[in-house]
Amino acid sequence: MKKAILYINQFFGQIGGEDKADFPPEIRAEKIGPALEYAKSLEAEITHTIICGDNFMGSNTEEAISKILGFLADKEMDIFIAGPAFQAGRYGVACGTICKAVKEKFGVPVITSMNVENPGVEMFKKDMYILEGGNIASKMRKDVKAVVAIANKILTGEEVGPAKEEGYFPRGIRKQVWREDKKPASERMVEMLVQKLNGEPFETELPMPKLDRVPIAAAIKDLKKARIALVTTGGIVPVDNPDRIQSASATRWGRYNIDHVDALKSGEYKTIHAGFDPAAADADPNVITPVDALAALLKEGVYGSLHPYFYSTVGTGTTQAEAERMANEIIPYLKEDKVDGVIMVST
Amino acid sequence: MRLEIGNFYVKDIVFGDKLSFNEGLLTINKEEAITYLKEDDRITDIDLYLAKPGDPIRLCPVKDSIEPRVHVDGSPLFPGYEGDLKRAGEGVTHALKNCCVTVVGKHWGGFQDGIFDMSGEGQKLSLYGTLLNIVLVMDTNEEFERHEQQKKNDAHRRAGCKLAEFIGQCVKELEPEEKEVFDLEPVIKRDPEIEKLPSVVYVMQPQSQMEELGYNTRVYGWDMNRMLPTFMHPNEVLDGALISGSFMPCSSKWATYDFQNCPNIKALYHEHGKTINFLGVIMANLNVALEQKERAAIYVAQMANSLGADGAVVAEEGYGNPDADFVGCIVALEDAGVKTVGISNECTGRDGKSQPLVTLDEKCDAIVSCGNVSELIELPPMEIVLGELEALARDGSSGGWAGDEILGPSVREDGSIIFENNGVFCGDQVCGWSPKTMKEF
Repeated sequence: MKKAILYINQFFGQIGGEDKADFPPEIRAEKIGPALEYAKSLEAEITHTIICGDNFMGSNTEEAISKILGFLADKEMDIFIAGPAFQAGRYGVACGTICKAVKEKFGVPVITSMNVENPGVEMFKKDMYILEGGNIASKMRKDVKAVVAIANKILTGEEVGPAKEEGYFPRGIRKQVWREDKKPASERMVEMLVQKLNGEPFETELPMPKLDRVPIAAAIKDLKKARIALVTTGGIVPVDNPDRIQSASATRWGRYNIDHVDALKSGEYKTIHAGFDPAAADADPNVITPVDALAALLKEGVYGSLHPYFYSTVGTGTTQAEAERMANEIIPYLKEDKVDGVIMVST
Repeated sequence: MRLEIGNFYVKDIVFGDKLSFNEGLLTINKEEAITYLKEDDRITDIDLYLAKPGDPIRLCPVKDSIEPRVHVDGSPLFPGYEGDLKRAGEGVTHALKNCCVTVVGKHWGGFQDGIFDMSGEGQKLSLYGTLLNIVLVMDTNEEFERHEQQKKNDAHRRAGCKLAEFIGQCVKELEPEEKEVFDLEPVIKRDPEIEKLPSVVYVMQPQSQMEELGYNTRVYGWDMNRMLPTFMHPNEVLDGALISGSFMPCSSKWATYDFQNCPNIKALYHEHGKTINFLGVIMANLNVALEQKERAAIYVAQMANSLGADGAVVAEEGYGNPDADFVGCIVALEDAGVKTVGISNECTGRDGKSQPLVTLDEKCDAIVSCGNVSELIELPPMEIVLGELEALARDGSSGGWAGDEILGPSVREDGSIIFENNGVFCGDQVCGWSPKTMKEF
């Protein structure tokens, strides 16, 4: 039989309530708390239960993760389950945190359950299957059953269906499917049209993501005194790509010193962007990261000074969420150096 | 304007002595057809094949598909394109159903050409895998584009349209099994009961983004890059006024057959007088520059308002850059008080994580979605290939590639293939056939 390991918090691990929330992680070779409920229908043996206090995971995250990963290093498992966490915020974040760490370290499927109001949903829904669960612990049976339904599909190699049908939070993945009823687009169009015209409820097949519009910043008052920085999504990096920025769907960025540099040299810099023909940018990296032009304009006194680093990542396929995170990581460097304006070079 | 289409249902096709249709059996004299087509001296090599659902056949690079038809009064089937100009969409047309003429390059493909299978797991990817195909495989002396990624495919497409009309002759004098009548009265002269229903226009955005002429969708032979949106009768679209173009990733393409049979138009016709008052078609296009896109959207919204449309349906032949035309047009209609439904495909990437359309707007609240152009497809080898499979990898197909450091080439030595849905001939069927939708995972 396949093997599973379950993660739960101090409360469901029967250690205690809020007063025991500092409980450090432990692994026990037995089924504790919700594990008994899972065991009823899960097509895997739950060999161990890990218990960790919610505050311990929240305050000593790295220590908790490293301890738990240590526990698991010599264990066999085909799936790792956490929770259900219901609406308990710290517990939900803990379930998401440990599932993500286990998935990254061991490559095993992970799965958890939370209520829609749990902050862990927004934080981790793109990283794993999070079943949409109840708000309170009395929903335990129902939530465990939902987790088991997906877990069993994963364990038996059956395909997991769309989010809405299976009851998990969409992971930001949209894929084409053949409708079982084979209803052609023309008929769906007419139905939706008539419903919309008659003011009846209708369901779009492409829900618009929430749009986050950023107002354009005020103009720089005196360019001659302004400090300017250069940021690009064109993937210009030193030829050995020291920060291992991905060629598409980037999650990493780098900053590279251009203090007193007149131009980026071919052979020293190149592009790793997979979304366009790199020949021109490799031959002359300044076409995407115009260090040469900025050096010339600086000498002419067009602007005040240049921030001594340029920042680079790859835009193609990169999600809006990752782009926002990277920007938030870059901004402090720019603020610290009192940068007045940024030239954002896309491709 | 009244169009009657008399349908003849083809159950099987064979090559024989005489072009004829008899109780479901279509017989084609191959030599006669080839001799007729060879009048175009650009054709250097030509042969005809039959490909039927269930056959172990893969077709690549596919250029266009056309339904065999004839105008009973002898007027040109594709006026202004093959033959003199004449208004399309009125009178009597005879059509051979369940079959199509499909044009395939003997060697050379390109960005705009596609692939489909007649059997196996890939058959469901395209409508054309389910039809009886009369396959025209040919090469031409169009040297200027032989090695170009973008091809006009002019000789190929004209030969396909000519062959469709040539074959259609055999049912010209026969009595059809079924008659479909498409009769839409003038917009301001309709039954008061129909006028009480919400009125709707169908806005078509055929692909027309190539500034150089000869690559785009044509209307009455006119290159649609050089037009502004205009009002058309749906019968014109169904009866040969529109000829497929050659400039778009292939799964987004509307074949000439798709225009002749446009399911979206037929669905709106079907509802006419029941739930809606179908006013007609606003024939728009797709443009390159932002100003052109905005101008076209202004034209569409103005026409919808002037016609008194309560609702509109916008369909886009393409993805990526033309998403801006699509979204812009929907927003312009909504801003003009016209309740609008859009039909499109999406580009969410091989992992499904990318933004579905290049531009988005919250006003696009009713979209029918027909597929993901970048879905990765892997298919086993096929016993017979009509055309040249290597075209998928070698010639810059929108779905194929010559090499990939992880996936390898699109066409493998054993004849198995890996490519993006982009390369499937008319795979996303935004014209209305699509049984596909998009779901969140």
